[in-house]
Amino acid sequence: MSGEALRGLRIIELAEVWAGPFGCSLLGDLGAEVIKLESYPRTSTTRPLTVPDARVADGPGPVYERANTHHHGNRNKRNIAVDIRRPEGAEVLRRLVRRADVLVESFSAGTIGRLGFGWEAVHALNPRLTMISLAGWGQEGPYQGYVMYGAGFEAMSGLASVRGYPGAPVEELIPTLHSDSTVPLALIFAVVTAAIRREESGEGSYVDLAQIEELATQIPGVLGEWTLNGRVPPRLGNADPHVVPHGCYRAGSGDGWVAIAAETDEQWAGLARAMGHAEWAADGHPWASLPGRLRDREAVDRAVGEWAQGGEPYEIADRVQAAGAIGAPANPPEGPLYSPQLHERGWFQSVDHPYLPNRLLGGFLWRLAPDGPSWDLRCGLLGEHNREVLLELGYADAEVDALAGSDVIGDRYPDPPPPGREG
Amino acid sequence: MGQPLVGLRVVELGGTVAAAAATKRFSDFGGSVIAVEPPGGGEARRVPPFPGDRPHIDRGAFHLAFNTGKRSLVLDHRTPSGREVIARLAAWSELLILDLHPAEARRILDLVDADEGPCTVVITPHGMDGPYRERMENDLSLFAWSTRAHRHSIQGREPLRYAPFLGMAQVGSTAAAVGIAALWGRRQDGLRRDAEISAVEAITGNVDTSFFLWAVNNAVQPRAAGQSRAMYPAGAWPCRDGHVLFAAGREPFFSRVCEAIGRPEIARDPRFADLSRKPLHFDDFAPVLREWLATRTKYEVFEHMQRYQAMTVPLLDASEVTADPQMVARGSYVEVEQPGIGTVTIAGSPFHMDGVGGDAWRARPSPELGEHGPEILGELGYSADEQIALFRAGVTG
Repeated sequence: MSGEALRGLRIIELAEVWAGPFGCSLLGDLGAEVIKLESYPRTSTTRPLTVPDARVADGPGPVYERANTHHHGNRNKRNIAVDIRRPEGAEVLRRLVRRADVLVESFSAGTIGRLGFGWEAVHALNPRLTMISLAGWGQEGPYQGYVMYGAGFEAMSGLASVRGYPGAPVEELIPTLHSDSTVPLALIFAVVTAAIRREESGEGSYVDLAQIEELATQIPGVLGEWTLNGRVPPRLGNADPHVVPHGCYRAGSGDGWVAIAAETDEQWAGLARAMGHAEWAADGHPWASLPGRLRDREAVDRAVGEWAQGGEPYEIADRVQAAGAIGAPANPPEGPLYSPQLHERGWFQSVDHPYLPNRLLGGFLWRLAPDGPSWDLRCGLLGEHNREVLLELGYADAEVDALAGSDVIGDRYPDPPPPGREG
Repeated sequence: MGQPLVGLRVVELGGTVAAAAATKRFSDFGGSVIAVEPPGGGEARRVPPFPGDRPHIDRGAFHLAFNTGKRSLVLDHRTPSGREVIARLAAWSELLILDLHPAEARRILDLVDADEGPCTVVITPHGMDGPYRERMENDLSLFAWSTRAHRHSIQGREPLRYAPFLGMAQVGSTAAAVGIAALWGRRQDGLRRDAEISAVEAITGNVDTSFFLWAVNNAVQPRAAGQSRAMYPAGAWPCRDGHVLFAAGREPFFSRVCEAIGRPEIARDPRFADLSRKPLHFDDFAPVLREWLATRTKYEVFEHMQRYQAMTVPLLDASEVTADPQMVARGSYVEVEQPGIGTVTIAGSPFHMDGVGGDAWRARPSPELGEHGPEILGELGYSADEQIALFRAGVTG
């Protein structure tokens, strides 16, 4: 039984990159019916048109169907490619809006309104529709229309200020896309909250989900250092001011790393045993107590670090865990494949794709009983479901042909390719 | 219009950051949330920072941010008496969110009526089954497992976590998402649902990780060597009063940056326009941009670059974020009057349902540990003598 919790909710996705698309994939995992309306003939930024591009897998078929970033965020939805800047394309979207429950859009603030699909317009078309806008800084405020993605929201939220190697130049900071991982979760919460409200009011809601505001909710410790104590929190790397050891240590001979931590005396005693030095946790030893380990942080770290080099990351993590402390391989990209746990739980998903056959991909974020998620639809090809969806919207076959003939809809990019999507 | 989740009853058990983050979403949108906390208080109340660096069970930053609007009941759920109270709470609730050791979670789930009981969400480090089910993890090790520590660190150096407890907060958001979906489904089709979240899977399966990307294209990419010298300008660059962050290595953004600094011809120069040559000419480009940045503040750079629609922002620290003009205009941070402390500033709504300043979302103060014990036990039907018995035996606190 595949996901049915959100069965009956129809979602239209006008979103790019990760936050919006991945959120809509998760809605699909939960049983919602998702239609991704992809821009056409302008290309999505996750669909590169040329190689070399590090994101693209080798294989047959168009380059833009093989980009890894595009695949991570587009399962369990159908794909139509429509030029909504043309009147005939806008009509397709209007018909979608009339029958949908939720419209998710991630344009810069103001763009969707200029396209004729602002909240008032879609609310008039379908009062039961909820619209969720994911502009980075939200719809209102002085930064309306500004452009950025996750890396910038991290920088402006304060999160980036506590990351990185202590004492290293700021220029060495590697940006993350943390908001792309949490905004999709907030999106689900917003979709269902709006659905609950609609049960009472009979009308859809407008949801202004500013990615930076959602990210701000995730880091109370960073903000608290300033608001409670007037301090700017430092870059700590992996260190924890109150836990020793707490770090990533080199394991084995290559570029392997293992995370090790002992948060309590009990965990420390286990780790000390695993390291062959049970006496380090015995009463009277300077490292036996929490304050003692804090006082002797560098020496403890050095001892753990030297010991960790005696095995590969998984091996060291196994020994630490067997002794009751915290240990984990600091996995490189392929690392999760070696986890017996993930295999035993059937987490990996075997997915077939015309141009990327037999891939073993990462699995779902949750199990749900009795109707758990299943990978019903692989990442859609550009415009793969144009005809199927348009027929459902009441178009006749000949009308679909005409729209395709005039490039209002499409399932391949023209040659030579147009410039990338802007804004 | 009022708060959308009024009438929705949620029970949280475990006292962890993840559980607290999960149910906060419900209470701030009007739901009635009972946090069942272990005697002495759990993780969410014990992690720093604290005002004045004085640890206090009711004053930690995570507690003040993640327990807003909840009622608190202290209960030892490992005793038969504690489990009886949990069974009554389960019957009262529509959603039960647990963050417990798998064996403890199993005993609690056994109390839930298969038809009439609440939907459940169980959070554990590795899931309820499998060879790693007994393992403990923390925020650091979850980032290690998920490939994210490796992904956002420098080649040859130690992989890095992000901010303390950020992974746990993400797991909490995951629980909130699947939890509200489960209860919606139940309201529609009558089917009670049980969700299970392995923290490792929840983070590894999400984006901003490497495994999925690697699994699609099987390309082994070295980690970054530092600031990108291939697709520039990207990452942090110094300006007069700090740093700005660019994400403008690709077109059309590179052209916009060149135009914004008055050097549009650079974008047409084959040394930079040809992406196979661009990595060889970082040192030709960098001084030009650095010189332009050196005389401007980060907000000046931000405003100027955004006029050209070039992806650039200021790097802000904790002292600056609440003063950012956009965040001020939108009320992105809110003040809560917290008994015993005074005014506390926390992040506001994760999304606005009725426009900025609407009343769908509201943060109320976080409860003292056990503040609502007698009130909740009374509502559950326990007499005064029964409550005294539970307290005297240390089951409640």
